[in-house]
Amino acid sequence: MKRPLIITWICIIGFISIIFTFPAVFSPSVKKLGDFVPALYGFLVAGSFIAYIGLWHMKQWGVQLFLVIFFIKTLFLMSINDYGPGTISGIVFSVIFTGVFLKFYPKMDLNL
Amino acid sequence: MNAQIFADSHFVYLICAHLRDINGASNSKFTSNHSFNEDKQFPCNFTSMLFLTLLKESVFFAWHSLAANKLRTFLSLLGITIGIFAIIIVFTIVDSLENNIRGSIQSLGDNVVFVQKWPWTFGPNYPWWKYMNRPVPAYDELFDIQKKTKTAQAVAFRIGGRKTMKYKSNIVENASLAGVSYDYYKIKSFEIQEGRYFTEGEVSAGYNVCILGSKIANGLFPNNPYPIGEQIKIAGKKAYVIGLFKKEGESMLGNTMDHQVVVPYNFARLILDVKSEQSDPYIAVKAKPGVSNAQMIDELTGIMRGVRHLKPMADDDFALNETNLISKNFDVLFDIIGMAGWIIGGFSILVGGFGIANIMFVSVKERTNIIGIQKSLGAKNYFILLQFLCESVFLALIGGIIGLLLTYGITFLARGSIDMEIALTKSNIILGITISVLIGIISGFVPAYSASQLDPVEAIRST
Repeated sequence: MKRPLIITWICIIGFISIIFTFPAVFSPSVKKLGDFVPALYGFLVAGSFIAYIGLWHMKQWGVQLFLVIFFIKTLFLMSINDYGPGTISGIVFSVIFTGVFLKFYPKMDLNL
Repeated sequence: MNAQIFADSHFVYLICAHLRDINGASNSKFTSNHSFNEDKQFPCNFTSMLFLTLLKESVFFAWHSLAANKLRTFLSLLGITIGIFAIIIVFTIVDSLENNIRGSIQSLGDNVVFVQKWPWTFGPNYPWWKYMNRPVPAYDELFDIQKKTKTAQAVAFRIGGRKTMKYKSNIVENASLAGVSYDYYKIKSFEIQEGRYFTEGEVSAGYNVCILGSKIANGLFPNNPYPIGEQIKIAGKKAYVIGLFKKEGESMLGNTMDHQVVVPYNFARLILDVKSEQSDPYIAVKAKPGVSNAQMIDELTGIMRGVRHLKPMADDDFALNETNLISKNFDVLFDIIGMAGWIIGGFSILVGGFGIANIMFVSVKERTNIIGIQKSLGAKNYFILLQFLCESVFLALIGGIIGLLLTYGITFLARGSIDMEIALTKSNIILGITISVLIGIISGFVPAYSASQLDPVEAIRST
């Protein structure tokens, strides 16, 4: 299936957000939260990146991985009591993106 | 090349094992040039076992590929090495300085308020001309506070100055001399290594006794590790050594006991000008357990205004300073330094990541026909993906480890030359390894995925 324009745009936004999120992995503020917090946060960022690659190629595993990462990321942000405007807007956008992905999910490729 | 051939034959063995399971072990018609144990039985959870075996094989492939191109490997991991080194060295230095300063502040006391002439912090509209005319805290005010306070656990007075210490022909110039009241030991944390602290009688009577810091003791008594009972001269006045402070090391705030000579206040006032601002007199007040600094400041404000006979509308003519004011200022400074290291290191890592992604694309291009052969023999897409992903993670991890080793080497050398604890901490090691693995995953995933999606027929045909 040819990639719909809306997924292309979502993936571009996702890649741009990853470029800005990645440096936060080793930022002093995240480091202060605990020894393993940057590692966990980093793997969430890497997971998001891989999910967007999957979505770019219209793969079902991309949507599945996106949902898993979104769920863990939300739990992680709640555990550190981060309810800032950035977090809330991130959750809202992720929910909207999920709706779009699920709309096209049945037409996506099942294979890796 | 030999390594590649060996890796390929090893892969054929694996595929045979995989297909043997699919077709049934008894009617397997696949053979390989690798030793193959026909009686080998796979466990029930074969899929997970196969995955682990494939992962092991991917690592094996990756290792041989990196070993086969040593110079290319070295150049690609250099970017990551420099990036990890830049970030971790900055974080290590910042952490060490922060620990040192926090230790120094803690030695002053977390719940201690200092009654002084000047405030430690001030804003842009700082009325310094008003503060100029304030009196310095006096020794008598100590007793007023001691009598009236209900929130303080201990109250002490201190004055200081720089004087010359002399023992026979050994001289220490500009040594820090502190004259203290008896309760000083309840506020300032220090350890006495040899001898003892002052008695209450010695302090009130102003006995000529002193306790020496380790650097001063080394300067005055280079060949005598136990100078207790010896007589030294402080600015020409005789004093007997009754104790030695335990060595503390250098302090960023300069409040280490190593460079200090502490004497009773009533002896110090014979040497120092107690009314002079140069002596920096202050009263330190330590709160009782469960009493907050804010509560104590409220009480101290009332007591000091009473002691100084200030009218209701008059401004305070004293400052009440807290140690957390210092730590707040340093927090801002360390955040800035950490941020600078983060930006510099971040860019280095970004460049390193692009380097690895580039080299992985070259690697995929070079091995396209091998990928084709592997896929035509039945290799799954995820095996090809894992193979290249492992290679990039390996590359980044080796770069990161070299960066961490460099950081460790620098801190090890620095420890010998600086009298301050600089250590590569566990959290920084974890951070360095995490960043390396992440860079490996992020920069290697796209080339690895493109390799996994290659058409076997077209891949075999490619040259």
